Amino acid sequence: MATITAALNVSSDISSYGLTINNTMTMTKAGSTVGLERTSSLQRVHLTNKRHVDLLVRGSGTVADMTVTKAAKVYIKYLEADTSKHVTIGLGDAKNNADLASTANTSDSGTFFELGKLYGDEWMIIPWSGTSATGDITVHPSSATTADPAIVEYIVFFD
Amino acid sequence: MATTTASITLTSADLLTDVLSLSATNTLYKAGTTIGLDQTTGMTKAYLTAETNIDIFPTLIEGSMAFAGKSSWVYICNKSEDETEFATITISGNIIGKLYAGDYLWMPWSQSEDGHGDNKHGDIELLPSVATGMWFEWCMINEGTEYPTAV
Repeated sequence: MATITAALNVSSDISSYGLTINNTMTMTKAGSTVGLERTSSLQRVHLTNKRHVDLLVRGSGTVADMTVTKAAKVYIKYLEADTSKHVTIGLGDAKNNADLASTANTSDSGTFFELGKLYGDEWMIIPWSGTSATGDITVHPSSATTADPAIVEYIVFFD
Repeated sequence: MATTTASITLTSADLLTDVLSLSATNTLYKAGTTIGLDQTTGMTKAYLTAETNIDIFPTLIEGSMAFAGKSSWVYICNKSEDETEFATITISGNIIGKLYAGDYLWMPWSQSEDGHGDNKHGDIELLPSVATGMWFEWCMINEGTEYPTAV
């Protein structure tokens, strides 16, 4: 059993009273106090065109050993200094590859939906069930070329 | 202009043969700018006593598309201390994942308009696993809030 922790800190002067979130979670298996013990390790991909692609496919590739519908956590970061650029993160199927970011939420597959956009230097951490209908995690860069690729890092911890 | 920073540190001393330590920090900006996000729902603390799927941001106008093309960040935490209790988080009716006791998520939220006709507009929903009472916290930091007109 491994011990994996994720410490989140958010601090803001957004209101007169401020706003602070300090929370540390220990990642455990589903319904258990036993820690997650598998990982994709830290991955980095260079996207060299603006196509909508699967970043993670449930139970396949780097997460082939993942038991879907159990516990998993996904961390994703968009490595980009320019905050006007973004990658759209979604759940579903990107196999039909919408070419333009503006059509990302109307994938031909009918199973894709947009979660949110990571602008330059932003990151996120979510649980991931990898359910059958919309189980893959997709990424769709607003700007990406061979000379100036969209670089995305991610790591999955799973049951 | 407000300044909001978010940081995370992922660590494990025994998952791999070497220590895992990963940190990231960023400032939350309005979409495509370097201007800080300036609106928030504040932190909600809720005790849910039914196995009912709920919309956690009910005051927002689903059809207004006030968030379209804007930046929103969402934090949700399952404050239960019973490891068997979890919450299923969905968006637009599709499962993202389950938050077990003590788990949280931190993610961007587009609230994009659904392109397939069910018109759910990317609602974030939370379904407790038990009806015996579970504590939760959630918060959104965003731009572009539009509230319903009173009737």
